[in-house]
Amino acid sequence: MKLAKVRKSFSRAVGDNLHKWMILPAFLLFLTFVLIPLAFSFGLSFTSWNGIGKADFVGLANFATFFSDERAGNAVKNSVVFAACSVPLLNVLGLGYALLLDHKNSFNKVVKAIVYVPAVISPLIMGYIWLLVLKDNYGVIFTIFGLFGASGSYANLLGDKDLALVVIILINAFQYVGLTMTIYSAGLQSIPVDLYESASVDGASWWQKFLHITLPMLGPSILINIITNIIGSLGIFDLVVSLTSGGPGYHTETLSLYIYRLAYGARSGYASAIAVMMFFIILIPVLIAYFIMKKSNLYLNEDEG
Amino acid sequence: MKMTKMTMSGALLALLATCTLTGCNKTSEAVTLTFLNGKSEVVDWIDTEIAAFETANPTIKVNQVFETDASSALKVDINAGDIPDITSVYETSLVNSGYYYDMSGLDAWSRVSGSIKELCTDPLTSKQYRLATNRATAGLFYNKDIFTACGITSEPTVWADFVSDLQKAVAKGYSGLYMGGSATWMLGHLMEFWGHGIIKESLGNVAANLAFINNDQTKLKFTGTNSPIKTFATKFLELKTDGVLNSDFLTASYDDQLENFATGKAAVISQGMWALSSIEKDNPSMHSKIGFMPYPSMDATLAPNPVILSDVDSGYSIMKASAHKDEAIKFLNFLWSSANQAEYCKLVSSPSAFTDVDDSDWSDISTVVDAALTKGTNIGYSSTPSGFGGGECGTLIQGLYIGDYTPDTFTTTYASDWNTAYTAANA
Repeated sequence: MKLAKVRKSFSRAVGDNLHKWMILPAFLLFLTFVLIPLAFSFGLSFTSWNGIGKADFVGLANFATFFSDERAGNAVKNSVVFAACSVPLLNVLGLGYALLLDHKNSFNKVVKAIVYVPAVISPLIMGYIWLLVLKDNYGVIFTIFGLFGASGSYANLLGDKDLALVVIILINAFQYVGLTMTIYSAGLQSIPVDLYESASVDGASWWQKFLHITLPMLGPSILINIITNIIGSLGIFDLVVSLTSGGPGYHTETLSLYIYRLAYGARSGYASAIAVMMFFIILIPVLIAYFIMKKSNLYLNEDEG
Repeated sequence: MKMTKMTMSGALLALLATCTLTGCNKTSEAVTLTFLNGKSEVVDWIDTEIAAFETANPTIKVNQVFETDASSALKVDINAGDIPDITSVYETSLVNSGYYYDMSGLDAWSRVSGSIKELCTDPLTSKQYRLATNRATAGLFYNKDIFTACGITSEPTVWADFVSDLQKAVAKGYSGLYMGGSATWMLGHLMEFWGHGIIKESLGNVAANLAFINNDQTKLKFTGTNSPIKTFATKFLELKTDGVLNSDFLTASYDDQLENFATGKAAVISQGMWALSSIEKDNPSMHSKIGFMPYPSMDATLAPNPVILSDVDSGYSIMKASAHKDEAIKFLNFLWSSANQAEYCKLVSSPSAFTDVDDSDWSDISTVVDAALTKGTNIGYSSTPSGFGGGECGTLIQGLYIGDYTPDTFTTTYASDWNTAYTAANA
């Protein structure tokens, strides 16, 4: 009798707030794997911790070092160049694919699936696959050149200090264009057809419809794509590790890779300081992109509210 | 009925209590050792030995944890308070921080050769924090058939002859010195044996080791006149300008290097004995063609003799924090038994450090290696600061190769990066 009463009050207490309790596992994971490490890393950024032993407080010294560290500056430059090229490339290609494949038929569905497949492969694996394709003396392309007696004219792209980063940008675009395409495709599906019909009645050309209907109505898709691409591109790690390990020299070393090397190279305090700087290096363009898009004529859902 | 239920419940409870107590008792007796291992080629062998050890010692379990980057893994374990009992990782910074157990009193030392014991001794405390079971040798492997075809009748001992011989090989269509430059640790070896080799030969192994540990720049002289680092950078660039390095120097891997040598395309490679089994796997008949020689002298004034690496291999350390040191010693003594070590020598193609181990057939080219050891000054590994090991140095050498540095800027960058890493590691 007593047990039934307890059970009833428990189920009432839980049942009414079940949706809130459902958040708990996700929150605990977020707390454990994001918030606590974030706070820990922030604290470490003010120390000269070498990865073992005691962490000595050094104030802002690590941040001062960052601004005079040539290698850090090079890593920032590589990350920014990578993002500055990757974000437009991914969005132009993604939008292009989405527009081309907007009509519902079996062929388009198959092409969409093919374009999307690379996105589900681990970037590390993707890097190693392309390494086998591009490698000098052993790679697939080199072998094909050899078949035509032109192996001597094959350029060692990954060993070229000017081209290695370009190659990584293109492979990254190849991998993730399917993801941006999918988001744009979903956005295109949500644009009311009657807008296009009205425009057609008014005699609008394809370009005018694209410029004044499609693009503004894709606002939420553009926003999500731009912001996730900026974050992903500035934090690029796996592809670089598998393709060049940051080389030749430091020509493709990105911020994430530099932080990783420092963290396991007895400079964990400084690595944490760079990680904090990286947070702002990512946050600033994200905020700029967000406010530019807000000021533009893009139709963002939040304006409705 | 009620009585029967109560009796059964009581009996079950008693049984449960007995089992729990028995289990507790067993748990208190059983010991589990954790062995953090970073040597991939011996993982299976150690697992087999663990199984044999556990059968003979049912109260001790050994859990082997293999990590490719065992050094980083150990630091993570230390920070997490989950320190393994035994490890193959040995770092000076960890010795200085007091993380290793003093193994100086182990009975096993009576079986270890004096020279190996000396190499295992920490120069600052004169104690042994690791016991190495084997001797590592590294030098230049060369293809005897290619040398003969090129008319090279004797092994080069000085730099000019070495470059000239490589040019002869290239002229005949072979790769001269084939390097897997994408594996930066391998490029770091060039500095280790040639650049640091000058320091070790001119100072002597013990004094050089102390100078590296203390970063004593008055002795190391990384910068300034007759800088060994600048000598290395200058001579290395000669290899590039003379066209004796492989065309895919920057992107070739460790496997590519071994394959090119095993298939008779490369005249010379810089490697250690650890690579031998892979070379023979690629080409089982290769051993009769393999020549092995020391690194020719780069600096005729400071270090006129060729050098060859002869250091310890397969070191085992017990962590100071281990609560089961006796059990760890028992396990290691089992691993170090004469019979086990004879087997191990063949597995790693490396002679034993133990005087009572029959290692006569540790390799098909053992006589060639033994002869090479007599032709050059035997040097050990340098004690590099954590954060500036072979990989980091190799990345700088990549930069030198592609023209990011001149020998002068390479030297200053090398010295600066070394000093920064040393300061950070010893903070």
